[in-house]
Amino acid sequence: MVKRKNKAGIILLFLLPGLLLYIVLVLAPIIQGFILSLYKWSTLHSSHFVGFDNYIAMFQNQIFRTSFKNSCIFMVVTTAAQVILGFLFGYFLSLHLKGYRFYKTVYFIPAVLATVAVGFIWGQIYSPVYGFIRPLMKSMGLGHLYTAPLANGTSALYAVIIVQVWGHLGVQIMMFYSGFMNIPQDVIEMARIDGAKGYKMIIHMILPLSWETTKTVIILQLIANLRAFDLIFIMTKGGPYHATEVLPMHLYLEAFQNIRIGEGSAVGVVIFVLCFLITVLTRKLMAREVIQY
Amino acid sequence: MQSVDISKKNKKTLIPKNSRLFIVGKTSNFVVNVFLACGAITVIFPLLWLFNSSFKTQMELAQNPWGIPSTFTLDNYVNAWVKGRMGRLLTNSSILTIVTIAITVLVSPMIAYVLARMKFKLNHFIYYFVIAGMMVPIHSIVIPIYMNTMKWNMQNNLFTLGTVYAAFRVPISVFILYGFMITIPNELEECAIIDGCGVWKIYSQIMLPLSRDGLISVTILAALSTWNELLLSSLLLSEPKLQSIPVGLMGFISEYHAEFTQLCAGVLIACIPTLVLYAVMQENTIKGMTAGAVKG
Repeated sequence: MVKRKNKAGIILLFLLPGLLLYIVLVLAPIIQGFILSLYKWSTLHSSHFVGFDNYIAMFQNQIFRTSFKNSCIFMVVTTAAQVILGFLFGYFLSLHLKGYRFYKTVYFIPAVLATVAVGFIWGQIYSPVYGFIRPLMKSMGLGHLYTAPLANGTSALYAVIIVQVWGHLGVQIMMFYSGFMNIPQDVIEMARIDGAKGYKMIIHMILPLSWETTKTVIILQLIANLRAFDLIFIMTKGGPYHATEVLPMHLYLEAFQNIRIGEGSAVGVVIFVLCFLITVLTRKLMAREVIQY
Repeated sequence: MQSVDISKKNKKTLIPKNSRLFIVGKTSNFVVNVFLACGAITVIFPLLWLFNSSFKTQMELAQNPWGIPSTFTLDNYVNAWVKGRMGRLLTNSSILTIVTIAITVLVSPMIAYVLARMKFKLNHFIYYFVIAGMMVPIHSIVIPIYMNTMKWNMQNNLFTLGTVYAAFRVPISVFILYGFMITIPNELEECAIIDGCGVWKIYSQIMLPLSRDGLISVTILAALSTWNELLLSSLLLSEPKLQSIPVGLMGFISEYHAEFTQLCAGVLIACIPTLVLYAVMQENTIKGMTAGAVKG
């Protein structure tokens, strides 16, 4: 670190442009969102102060409760699938079997595609007209059991979850893969000499040694999945009968379709608080002695 | 015990080539290969099907949804390009992306440089203050941003939207670049000062070139997220001639939903830029997108 004169001026000059952008366009709107949620908006241009009425109305709203529940299911199931599959495939890749480079390349492709494209592709796969789920089930003699996954209230949410996992799994695989690559060779070697084999190796060596990676992936994915909006917006718009309406979707519909700015902003505040709580809580809960190697 | 021999030969990689962490025999090896192949098929098959369908006529798709097209036609691409206004959408998204990248690359490294290389009182506070922004969900700010831009008459403006995107890129970009800049040895900076370099010169001639990989990651990340962003661009760009790729594509899909093969072509056109980026800079793309996992 270097000392020099008029340091304060230089520091300020370097920080100012970025911090200004960040404060004006990211932080201030959060506070503004909270203020908006305290008003009743009769049109987009006229409003009056109502205190916490919007929050009371929101919590009494059956659709909000449904979307809260949906968000929880979506968040937990998607994250669980991403962590388990990501761990598994990341581990398989880290074995460096023949052709692993090819698999690495392929697994990451969906992550760079636009969500609109992913939603379109899977919309067609699920579609009763062009999709290949129906012919597949018919060929197995299960044709009579087929219902369009996205049109059915009980399966729609899980159908979207599958697509969400498909679209992002590459990122988690690579996170785990690079986490495993950072485990020192000699530690694994020692364990092997001591007779660790099979699932024991995974549970007693790989998992604890890559705990930091696992923790990070869980936190990142919980938040990312709580925010998931695009795919649902493209595939179902929250339907059928609010079966896939998660919190961000609920916010969108409230604010920009029903033009209830106050209620929408209240949902926005709830999403923010949830993100904050999840980050802090998961960090606390999963804090564990960091293993030195 | 054969495994020990194999790993001894490859001391270079942390986990050796052909390492047997838990797999002993050929059968387990086979099982893993089957898993990997199934994963690859799950990824490739839908994309291949899309690609295949995009060369068929509507008629042929109905009769022969699986096989390869009997007559190879590019009509779908031509139609999609014209009807989907792909040229316009690609231009708009390119402008958006360039604006976002330009602002991000201008402001983020400056913050990262000061925080990583200079000692001052509020240093740590500002660092955590900035990277806390990675946690902010876009949905919490979308209504205020919408209201403000409406009030100030700044909607339907690619530069406004690009600036908002760039503001959202600041936390993650600072986080990535900080990680690079903190590892640059002090001696370099000290030498430069003895040679009479000013702060700006140190920054632009030493810090930026040495954190090149970080800058590439930040740029790719900004490009991908801007190119694929849907919510804000659908709200702030309502004018058809200013729409970005995701918004225009969505409109195209709902408008021509019966002409399926055309849609396949349109979706593929929209995906080409990011796929090319990935093909050219695979390692950097992966690094950028997994950068959040470097540490907590």
